Amino acid sequence: MANGRMPLDEVLMVIAIGAYVVGALALLVYFFSRSEWLRHLAIPLAIAGCVAQFGQLIARYEITHIWPLLNLYGSLSLFAAVAVLIFIIFAFRYDLWFAGGFVLGLAALFLAYAITWNEGSMPAVPSLQSYWAKIHVPLVVSSYAAFMISFVMSAIFLVKYYFERSLAKQAIPTTGGAAAFVQAPDAMAAVRMDTPAIAAAAAAGNAGAQWLNTIPSLAQLDVLIYRIVAVGLPLLTLGIITGAMWAHESWGHYWQWDPKETAALFSWIVYAIYMHLHTRNAWRGMRTAWVSVLGFLSIMFCYFGVNIWISGLHSYKV
Amino acid sequence: MQAVRELYDDFIRTFGNVLFAVLLFIVWGLLTLIGVIIAQGKDPATYFDSYAAPLARLILRLDFNNIYHTPYYVGIIGLILLSLAVCTFKRVIPARLPPLRAVAIDKIPLHASFDAAGDPETIRDRIAAFFRARGWNVRKREFGGIEWTFADKHNWARRGVLVAHMGFVIIAAGTTIYWAKGFSGDEAIITGQTVSVPHTQTSIKLDGFSYKIKPIITKSGMVYQPIDYVSRVTATGSDGVARTATIRVNHPLDVDGVLYYQSSYGFAMRFRVTHDGVRVPALTNRDYLTGDEIDLPGTQRSVAVAQFVPTVDRLNGVPSADPRVNNPAVFLQIFDSGQASGAGLVPMKSSIDAGGGWRITPEQYLLVSGIQYTHDPGVALVGIGAFVLLAGLMISFYLLPARVFVRIDPAPGGSRIGLAATTVKGYDIFERQFNDLAAALGTKLIGESHG
Ligand code: HEM
Repeated sequence: MANGRMPLDEVLMVIAIGAYVVGALALLVYFFSRSEWLRHLAIPLAIAGCVAQFGQLIARYEITHIWPLLNLYGSLSLFAAVAVLIFIIFAFRYDLWFAGGFVLGLAALFLAYAITWNEGSMPAVPSLQSYWAKIHVPLVVSSYAAFMISFVMSAIFLVKYYFERSLAKQAIPTTGGAAAFVQAPDAMAAVRMDTPAIAAAAAAGNAGAQWLNTIPSLAQLDVLIYRIVAVGLPLLTLGIITGAMWAHESWGHYWQWDPKETAALFSWIVYAIYMHLHTRNAWRGMRTAWVSVLGFLSIMFCYFGVNIWISGLHSYKV
Repeated sequence: MQAVRELYDDFIRTFGNVLFAVLLFIVWGLLTLIGVIIAQGKDPATYFDSYAAPLARLILRLDFNNIYHTPYYVGIIGLILLSLAVCTFKRVIPARLPPLRAVAIDKIPLHASFDAAGDPETIRDRIAAFFRARGWNVRKREFGGIEWTFADKHNWARRGVLVAHMGFVIIAAGTTIYWAKGFSGDEAIITGQTVSVPHTQTSIKLDGFSYKIKPIITKSGMVYQPIDYVSRVTATGSDGVARTATIRVNHPLDVDGVLYYQSSYGFAMRFRVTHDGVRVPALTNRDYLTGDEIDLPGTQRSVAVAQFVPTVDRLNGVPSADPRVNNPAVFLQIFDSGQASGAGLVPMKSSIDAGGGWRITPEQYLLVSGIQYTHDPGVALVGIGAFVLLAGLMISFYLLPARVFVRIDPAPGGSRIGLAATTVKGYDIFERQFNDLAAALGTKLIGESHG
C-alpha cells in the first residue's frame, strides 16, 4: 500500500467478502420467502465471490512470489473458496440453494477471520519449501471444505428431524404415522425418514413446517450428506497420505504422531465410522447426521485447535 | 466340542459385525484423541506442571504420555485388523448380488411401469439395447412364462470394500516391518567432527553447516524467518568410499538405504579454562554442547553451559531475539556441591570467575548440525497400502453396484413393462438415477408411464 492504493489481492478479498455477505443475506431471505428473484441475485454473487477468491490467491502469489497457502490467512481463504465451489457444484446438481445462506455466511465469517491472520508476505521456513506444499495443503483444505458443506446439510437434516419429532410428540394420540415415527424400532428406518407430522402441520399452515416441507426429504438429505462426505473422505485420505510423504522427506519419517497428524487421523476415524454406520439401514439418518456433525467439529479442532492450543513439530525448532 | 463351536460362532458373530467394528473405531478414535490433547513423550515433571497431581499421576500410570506405543493402542489396531479379516471372509466376500430371479416389482420401493406398442420380443430387445448403450450388463431369463431382463451395473465395484480393507491391512503390514526391522535416531555433529552412525557401517563427518535467516518486519513486529539450513558432509558407507554431499531440509541423503535428514542446528563452545591463571589443557581443548558441564577437578564445583546467545544487544547488554550470530555470548551457571552459586551472560573473550581461582573464558563457537537418520524397509509397502486404500474408497463411494429388474408382459395393443431397482446401498441413493432411467426408457419406447 506504498502509494496509498490497496493491492489487488486485498481488493479481491473485499469483493469476495462483499459478494458472500450480500449473497448470504439474499439466500437467507430466500430461505424463508422463496422469492425466486433472490435466488437469481444470489447465484451470480456466489460465483463472483468464488472467482474473486481464486483470483485473490493467484494475485497474492504473483505479487509476493510466495506460495500463498502456508499460513492461516491463505489456507482459510482457499478453504472458503473451495467450500463455496463444492457447494455451487452440488447446488446446481441437486438444487440446494435453500442452504446457500448458511454456506455463504460461514464462508464470509471464515474469510473475516482469515484477515486477522494476514501477516504480510513471509517467505517459507525451510521445511515448507517443498513442492509437497503445493499438493498437500490444497488437498487437506479441500477435504475440510467438503466437510463444511456436509456439516451444513447435516445440521439442516437434524433441524428437520427434530422438528418432525417434536410435532409428532404433540400429535401422538391422533396421527398414526407420527406415533409410528416416535416409537419406530431401529429396523423401521424408512419410517424414521418420513416426516408425516411436518406434512400435516404444513397443510395446517405452520410456517416452519411449510418451509421444511419444501426442502428435500430426510432420505434425500441423508443421501446428499453421504455424497458430500464421499468427496471429503478420499480428499482427507489423500491429504494425509501426501502429508506423510512430505513428512518422510522433511522430518525423516512418514508418521511422527505429531498432534496435527493425529488430529487429522482422529477426524479420519470419525468419518470412517460415518461410512460404516451408513452401510446399515437402521443407522442411516439421524445417527449418521450426528456423526457428520461430530466429524466437522473434529475437523475444526484439527484446523484451529491444534494450532492454537497444542505445540508440535509444525514449527522448526532452533 | 460343542462349547468350542459356540465360542467360535460367538467370535465370528461379534467380530464380523460392522457395529462391533464401529465400537473398535470409537475406542481407537478416543485413544488417538487423548494423544493429541496430552503432550507426548515429555519429561514426567512436565505433566505435574501442567495438570493437577492426581491427574498427572494417572496420565503417567496409564502411559497416556506415550500412548501410541502402549500395548493397548497397538492392541486396538490389532483387534480392528482381526475384525476386518473376519468381516471380509464372512460378509464382504460371500456377499453377491442376489441370483437372477423373479421379483414382485411393486414391492420394491423403486419401481415404475409403462405400456408400449410392440410385442414383448421386440420390446425386450429394445430394452436390452437401451441398457447396453448406457453401459449396463444385460441378461435375459424366463420365469413362469414371463420375460425378465436383468441389467447390472458396476457389479465388480462390490469389491471396492475389499480393496479398501486390503489397503488398511497392507499399511499395517508396512508399519510392522518398520517396528521389526527398521531403526532411527539422531546425532548432533559438531563442525569438523566425525560420527559413526549406530546400526550402520556409515560414518559422517560434518565439513560445515550454514543457515540463512531473514529478518522480516510484520504487522506484529520483527520476525526472524529461517530460509535455509545446509550441512556439508563427507559420508563413508559400507563400501569404504568417502563421498561429499549436502543435506538440507526436504533433501535427505541416502547412504546404504539409510536416509539422513537435516533436523535441527545449534552451537558448541570452546572455552579457555584457567586455574590461578594457568591454562588447563584437558578442559580447554574440548567442545561443549548446550547442557554439558565443566567439572572443575579437585573441587565440588562445576560450570554448566546453559545457553548460547547468538546476539547480545550492544546497547543494553540484553540477549536479542536475532538468531544470527552478531555479538555472541554464553549463559553459564556455576554450581558448588550441586547448589547454584552464580551465573552470568559471558561475551566471547570475556571471562567469568568460577571461584577458587578458576576462570572460564568463551573462546570460540562452532556450529552443530542435528542430523536424523531412519532406515525403514516397510515404507514402500505403506505407500502401496495407502494408495490401495484410496482406490478402495473411490471404488466404494463413486461406483454404485445396482440392478434393474425388467418384467415384460403382453398387454392389449402391445406390452406392459415393469421396472424395479435395487442397489447395495439402499434405494434412496439411486432414486434420482432410477427416475431418470425410467423416464428415458419411457421416452424411448414411446409408451405411457403409470409408475
Ligand atoms: C481402518 C479400516 C477400515 C477401512 C478403511 C474401511 C473402509 C470401508 C469402506 C470405504 C467401506 C465402503 C462404505 C460405503 O461404500 O459406503 C466399508 C464397508 C464395510 N466395512 Fe470397512 N473399513 C475398515 C475397517 C472395517 C472393519 C474392521 C470391519 C469389520 C467388521 C469392516 C467391515 C465393513 C463392512 C461389513 C462393510 C460394508 C460392506 C457392504 O455391505 O457394502 N470394515 N469399509
